[in-house]
Amino acid sequence: MAVPATPTPSPPAPPAIETRGLRRIYKVKPTPVIALEHIDLEVAPGEFFGLLGPNGAGKTTLIKILTTLLLPSEGTARIFGFDVSREEKQIRRIMNMVAGGEQSGYGILTVREQLWMFSQFYGLSRSDGWRRVDDLVDAVGMGAEREQRVSTLSTGQRQKMNIARGLLNDPWILFLDEPTLGLDVAAARQVRELVSAWKAAVLGRTVLLTTHYMAEADELCDRIAIVDHGRILAIGTPEELKRRVQRESIFRVELDHLDAGGAAALALLPGVVSVAPAAADGGPVDRQTVGLNLALAQDGILASVVGALGDLGSHIVALRKSEPSLEDVFVELVGRGFDDPDAAVTSGPGGTAGAA
Amino acid sequence: MSVYEFRRTVSPQAAAAWTPRQVLLTNLRAVGGRAYPRVHGLFREKSWVFFEVLLPFLSTSTFVFVYRALRAPPEYIGFVVLGGAMTAFWLNVIWMMASQLWWEKSQGNLELYFAAPMSIMSVLFGMALGGMVMSSTRAVIVLAVASLLYEVRFAIDQWLLLLTVFFLTLAALYGLGMMLASLFLVWGREAFQMSQLFTEPVYFVSGLNFPVARLGLLGALALATIPLAVGLDAMRQLAFIGANFPIGTPTPEVEALILVVMTVVFLAAARWMLRTLERRARREGRLSVRWQ
Amino acid sequence: MSESTDEPKGLVGLGSPDWGGFDRARTRGRGVRDVWGSFRTAALIGWQMEANWTDPVLFFIYSVAKPVSGALILVVMLDIISGGADPGYRAFVVVGTALWAVVLAGISGLAWSILDDRERYRMLKYVYVCPSDFRVVLLGRGVARLAVGAAGGVITLAVGVLALGVPLDPAAIEPGLLTLVMILGLAAIVAIAVLIAAICLQTRQESWSYPDAVGGALLLVSGVVFPLSVLPLPLQAIGLITPLTWWVEGVRRALVPGTPSSIGGAGSLWATTTGSLAPDAPTIVVALLATGALVTLGATGIFRLSEGRARDRGLLDQTTGS
Repeated sequence: MAVPATPTPSPPAPPAIETRGLRRIYKVKPTPVIALEHIDLEVAPGEFFGLLGPNGAGKTTLIKILTTLLLPSEGTARIFGFDVSREEKQIRRIMNMVAGGEQSGYGILTVREQLWMFSQFYGLSRSDGWRRVDDLVDAVGMGAEREQRVSTLSTGQRQKMNIARGLLNDPWILFLDEPTLGLDVAAARQVRELVSAWKAAVLGRTVLLTTHYMAEADELCDRIAIVDHGRILAIGTPEELKRRVQRESIFRVELDHLDAGGAAALALLPGVVSVAPAAADGGPVDRQTVGLNLALAQDGILASVVGALGDLGSHIVALRKSEPSLEDVFVELVGRGFDDPDAAVTSGPGGTAGAA
Repeated sequence: MSVYEFRRTVSPQAAAAWTPRQVLLTNLRAVGGRAYPRVHGLFREKSWVFFEVLLPFLSTSTFVFVYRALRAPPEYIGFVVLGGAMTAFWLNVIWMMASQLWWEKSQGNLELYFAAPMSIMSVLFGMALGGMVMSSTRAVIVLAVASLLYEVRFAIDQWLLLLTVFFLTLAALYGLGMMLASLFLVWGREAFQMSQLFTEPVYFVSGLNFPVARLGLLGALALATIPLAVGLDAMRQLAFIGANFPIGTPTPEVEALILVVMTVVFLAAARWMLRTLERRARREGRLSVRWQ
Repeated sequence: MSESTDEPKGLVGLGSPDWGGFDRARTRGRGVRDVWGSFRTAALIGWQMEANWTDPVLFFIYSVAKPVSGALILVVMLDIISGGADPGYRAFVVVGTALWAVVLAGISGLAWSILDDRERYRMLKYVYVCPSDFRVVLLGRGVARLAVGAAGGVITLAVGVLALGVPLDPAAIEPGLLTLVMILGLAAIVAIAVLIAAICLQTRQESWSYPDAVGGALLLVSGVVFPLSVLPLPLQAIGLITPLTWWVEGVRRALVPGTPSSIGGAGSLWATTTGSLAPDAPTIVVALLATGALVTLGATGIFRLSEGRARDRGLLDQTTGS
């Protein structure tokens, strides 16, 4: 009987994005501008990765390098193992990009025609192109505008069209450079929903999103890198990043009453970091409650606190968790400056980041 | 299947590995794709019929009347008419092709083109093809109407050679256009001014209104470098058999060979220049900087 | 800060000294001073953009090569046929093409400003809504190009005198006539520029070539490179109502007296109609004034119509490339 051959283990899939020592200098007068400073980054296939930072942080420069529009001054960058400097053809076949505030295209064409033209650039056949365009136009909610000239579209409509363009070739990796820039709340939400739905439809799709809208990054991204002045200040999941600023879980609890010494008793419970009075809720005089801000080592301690409150005879009127926002994280990180050794980084799974 | 599930490949490596057939088909489709807005744009905004066809006809007529004022031999009227017709293609190359990448950069399309997998040469060729509708219309109108109105008598023996020379001239012109497009990509705003520079000076050295050999050494240089000069000279010799051409004018067959060489050299140089200058533009960050 | 005494009570707060207040006087403008300020600023911007070449050699070549080549084309055509035996006609074409360089530059300036600002810089809408008169701003922008064209024209004339045998005698120049026709002629060129700009407000980005096309067509009927008498009578009539014809005639007469007339001559419509072989200086000036005024009126009206249509259809901030 033949011995079955040991199956050769398949090589590990390369990261969707991998940069090592990436640097980009613009030689402008009077002083060259260092747009990116030693960026080390790794994004796994299937991640929704965010680059969060203010204007001028280097987000767009990084995305232009990764989309093969710009060469790095130093270092390397790879997309699914393909080098951005030498293998741009391969990368262009598997990626697409959409930028916010994009005014590209030809105003004289209709939405449908514009998208069809781009479908041809990605090698779709004539008929497949029209079919794909019609499907995408409906999917992004522009069915009513399909025969409208591009020059007559509103900002939100134009961006939805751009998103459709970005999805034409079913990219393995989609680069979004501030895609909701200049959009109203409803349009921005629609764009986020479109992108999320597209990503969720097939396993393995990767998205790199640059944004300076904290809530957007918080909502969409599996992991976020905070960028400023060409450096990555921190990388992690939104929760991990928030923990940098606030390690405890903060709860605000409204009680019908609290006996004297009750707060002190709560503070002695294991896992309770601190108990502090909260401002009155301003309700009717006959329904004044007692507010407390509880800092707990972890969420699980809450159960013992609730039990203790019951033992004290207090009833909970309202309970709310308060979390730091990514904005708090950003202000905390950027406000520290680059010489601060505490600006060193937390690693999330599969990622590294450049040291400040 | 949801619209978001489409053309799935097993891995990005498989998706990136295109066969030569896929590459060729994509480039051909890109030509058609890029020609589409040009062609449809012409039908949606029709002012070009007046400004790009009728008015240039009057412009050609100016030089006809100059020769009439000078009581020139009748074949010179024919030279001017043929020159006027070919101007259309030269302008298409300069305005609709060479300087177009600069325009595309201004509009934000250039980076999308370079981020897409097709060759930029396909885009340029598509632009030229789309613009050829206008150019051809202009050339035909100028040739037909002016010939009728000004009683131009053509004397053609070798139709096949004439047509071959015409198409070779176009091929060489568009090859030159692609070369210029790559230069304009790097030059930035000067590209626009250079487009201006490539009108009257080129008309002069190409002998648009007279046999180029009249310019002596300058004419010889033009015959060696400018497809318009070579093509026009050859077409004149083939369309007006019996007319007097200066001694030393190369025969149409020789000029056809020159055009073949020009086509090959220009297209090869264009391919190399586009790649090299794209790389330079990527290094200097010029692919997406406007108002340069 | 001035406060309006007839301000409704509800708006009194706007006049509060703490706030700084709303000064109605600011909406009134300063008349001629504003016009001059807008024109000067626009002209400076126009010059910055026209002269903004990183390579001055290229700029010089561009400013010189284009008009000189235009002249050389005609000189060679002339030499081929007449063997250089007609120096008077050579002066005729060289002066004509030198002037035409000014015309082409002048008529393209305004149109290209509109296309540039609308398609490239996306600034047209901002220029339009600022308090400066839109037409004044356009004029200022166009003047820069006119200046470049004028420089090219002068250089072409200089080349003609130095290298092509144009007999220019400074003592024979008629400065009064020259000054008058130049002023009236430049005004007519600007009027034609306004007309083309009005058209470009409505057309696509590819309209860059329209000024050249119009210039090429006007070349036929303006007596620039051949006398009008060569043309069929209807075209001669069109030439006679074109201000550029009278301008070219006047400048030639003033610069190089003795040059053949482009308007008159045996068998011409002018000679047949008036009985004289060539118009005299006063006739040239009056005709230039009359035809220029007509074109100016027409251009102003058409521009106003075009502007209104552009506002109505939202054309001021569209991009139209293909």
